[in-house]
Amino acid sequence: MFDFVKTVLIALPKGFYTTFKHLFKKPVTLQYPKEKMPMAPRYRGLHYLEKYEDGSERCVCCGLCASACPADAIYMEPAENEKGERYSEVYEINLLRCIYCGFCEEACPEEAIFLGHEYEFSNDSRDAFIYTKGQMLANRPTKEKPFKKIIRKVRRIF
Amino acid sequence: MTEGLRTEEFQVNMGPHHPSTHGVCRFILTMDGEVIVRAEPVIGYLHRSLEKICENRTYAQCIPVMDRFEYCTSMCCNEVFALAVEKLAGIEVPEYAEYLRVIMMELNRIASHMIWYGTTALDLGAITPFLYSFREREDILDMFEMTCGQRLTYNYIRIGGVSKDIPPEFIPKCKEFLATIDHKIDDYERMLTENPIFMVRNKGVGTLSPEMAIAYGVSGPSLRASGIKYDLRRDDPYSIYNRFKFDIPVCHNGDCYDRYIIRIKEMRESAKIVRQALEQLPNAEVNTGKMVKANFKPAKGEVYSRIENSRGEMGVYIQSTGDTKKPLRVKMRGGSYNQLQVMPELVKGVKIADVVAIMASLDIIMPEVDR
Amino acid sequence: MELIGIFKYLYEQLVATGIPQVWVDLISLVASAVIIFGVLALIALFLVWWERKLSADFQQRMGPMLTGWHGLIQTVADAIKLIQKEDITPTKADRPVFFWAPIICFVAAFAVYVTVPFGEGLIVSDLNIGILYIVAITTFTVISLLMAGWGSNNKYALLGGMRSAAQVVSYEVPMIVAILSVIVFVGSLSMVDIVESQALIYQWYIFRMPFGPIAFVIFIIAATAETNRTPFDLPEAEQELVAGFNIEYSGMKFAMFFLAEFINMFTVSAIGATLFLGGWQGPFLPSWVWFLVKTFGLVFVFMWFRWTYPRLRVDQLMEFSWKFLLPLAFANLILAGWMKYSGWFNW
Repeated sequence: MFDFVKTVLIALPKGFYTTFKHLFKKPVTLQYPKEKMPMAPRYRGLHYLEKYEDGSERCVCCGLCASACPADAIYMEPAENEKGERYSEVYEINLLRCIYCGFCEEACPEEAIFLGHEYEFSNDSRDAFIYTKGQMLANRPTKEKPFKKIIRKVRRIF
Repeated sequence: MTEGLRTEEFQVNMGPHHPSTHGVCRFILTMDGEVIVRAEPVIGYLHRSLEKICENRTYAQCIPVMDRFEYCTSMCCNEVFALAVEKLAGIEVPEYAEYLRVIMMELNRIASHMIWYGTTALDLGAITPFLYSFREREDILDMFEMTCGQRLTYNYIRIGGVSKDIPPEFIPKCKEFLATIDHKIDDYERMLTENPIFMVRNKGVGTLSPEMAIAYGVSGPSLRASGIKYDLRRDDPYSIYNRFKFDIPVCHNGDCYDRYIIRIKEMRESAKIVRQALEQLPNAEVNTGKMVKANFKPAKGEVYSRIENSRGEMGVYIQSTGDTKKPLRVKMRGGSYNQLQVMPELVKGVKIADVVAIMASLDIIMPEVDR
Repeated sequence: MELIGIFKYLYEQLVATGIPQVWVDLISLVASAVIIFGVLALIALFLVWWERKLSADFQQRMGPMLTGWHGLIQTVADAIKLIQKEDITPTKADRPVFFWAPIICFVAAFAVYVTVPFGEGLIVSDLNIGILYIVAITTFTVISLLMAGWGSNNKYALLGGMRSAAQVVSYEVPMIVAILSVIVFVGSLSMVDIVESQALIYQWYIFRMPFGPIAFVIFIIAATAETNRTPFDLPEAEQELVAGFNIEYSGMKFAMFFLAEFINMFTVSAIGATLFLGGWQGPFLPSWVWFLVKTFGLVFVFMWFRWTYPRLRVDQLMEFSWKFLLPLAFANLILAGWMKYSGWFNW
């Protein structure tokens, strides 16, 4: 009898009360395509390549990012320009292989590659996921990446 | 009368595309009406060959691969691999980094138990608790995101320390979360704990005796629900767990309801640990540890490290030859595998609805089983 | 009152045209059938939307927001999508059984409304066996679910169909006994008589101590089981039987099951409102508004149930019905009969 009172007469209304309480609370969800969640500054999304202030590329095609990559997603071919500086002629990331671990930005000694905040890049063909150098340069955000200092600290392991 | 009737057993394929098999587990159920006669788990639908992948990566590169081992508690996966290599190479981890590790692991345990709570309620037909628990889990994931930049695959705990210091806004947010979490868990309990429907569905269902649990190697909350007080955080302390005061909840019936109670209590205990860790966090010296280099070669030898994960004992065995940058052999152990093996014993003679309840209460997650 | 006036006026106009009385009756019957169908289709669409919105509110979500004001015409969009979908019949299915199951379910759901009084005078036909007719017709649903389970030739569907048959049969009995305890007091099976016997608020059967509230609770529990809603939604237990009896249905056939389910929920709420909450009776507002308010209040309770509780297991469900609900219902019936006989509380 005591059990009956405890479970049916107390516990059942408790459940009712809990759901009813939430009826008047504000929704915690967002209307996704319209509103978007602000990403944390350290968020690791789609990659981009950084440039110097004069517009020349930072990447010197050293290959550290490719060797640090645990998913073998980076492919690059070096070349030299007329001034004798090394640069990457081909720089491709296979986004389907990439696991967004962030080792490439930690490995890069020139602070050239970073993982940005973009996360909506679905597509319907596999070829579209081979992310080329031009796309990565174009993807550069207007604001400077706010956590360069943090990554500089991490850059000890490669 | 019965002579004229012919009954026969039939087979039902539960999974791999079944809503409540938590991923891609498949059961071949031989049934007599609604009653299970035999159940045979078929595993391997989520096999990604993680052990072999690790054997072809440098030690540092193994950490993001370990994230995928058990994606509900990636922090613990990071930790278990890092611990193994640190043991092998004798690396000291600074105190500050140890505290961060404990905070992250315990938050992750809460997050993992929240997934379990939501899916358990969902498997029993109650949909609303699922959304309540995921609401709080979102707060934890926000904290992880601001710390390490990802919400699920963190790549945060590295060999020799942690990758980044916590951001300044982490501690206020964490304190705010800890201040409300107990009330939220009260809400969860109000939905299910004493609900008569929930009780009749779980009490006395899927009783796992302590002998059987030990024989099958069941560990973690499922083992403690059977009455065995065994928790690696207390019995084989790793990291700095011996500095915190926390209870290890134990129940004695070993049924689904006890497994539920244990996990609910564990959430509160984990919150306690995080509170203590935040208090003790050394402010004087921010040292996140010196992580190993890419060309790091530990000495020849073998090591097994184990930690208490939210689903039982999680272990990694590493064999190193001493002259390469890559491990010779990596073996991973997840608690879910043993808990899945005990399923056929538990579901004999129960109804099909109980299969779902038992599976939910054991908290099986398939990536950990298939690896 | 205004509504009935309009109908009366139209009827008189029809008589005044001078066509034979048979035709007048036929036309008015067809017209009322069309009106009922239209109103119920609207109500079903609204209920689907309301359930989604309410569940969203219970769970701190938003629910459908994009189609129309707060997603109000989302259900219409869904219905159009379902009509456009390919209608798949499995190769090994029992074709006629598979085909007729949703239709029977759909028709039975609508046929009930012949004797449901929407307001004072707003009733298609006040049969003198009204409540008996309703109980008989609602039982048709179980036949259609059983047909769907068998015809699909799918093990999950078969289990769902069998569960639904067992469940509806066992919950039908306590429900009828609970209804019977009200009928004992009224002394008539006619729905209009039932409503008219509870003109004042203390005469509502839910307030007739002590048998009224018990009968009401039994009715609500049995009605939840009857309409296959959580915590008694075993026939389509998503987590166990994937989708139960309607696992193989797609397109419009699925939509028929789906709409019938919501109309059934409205039906049992309407019966509950009529039997226990005084039907259309109420001050100030027009009678049909009172009816709708009470019915939607009960619908809200059903939805609240669904979004709060987990599901029972099949054997526990049967046990609960036969070992607890049925004896209680019979005891309650005896109590009601004795109260009626002795004249206690017989206001």
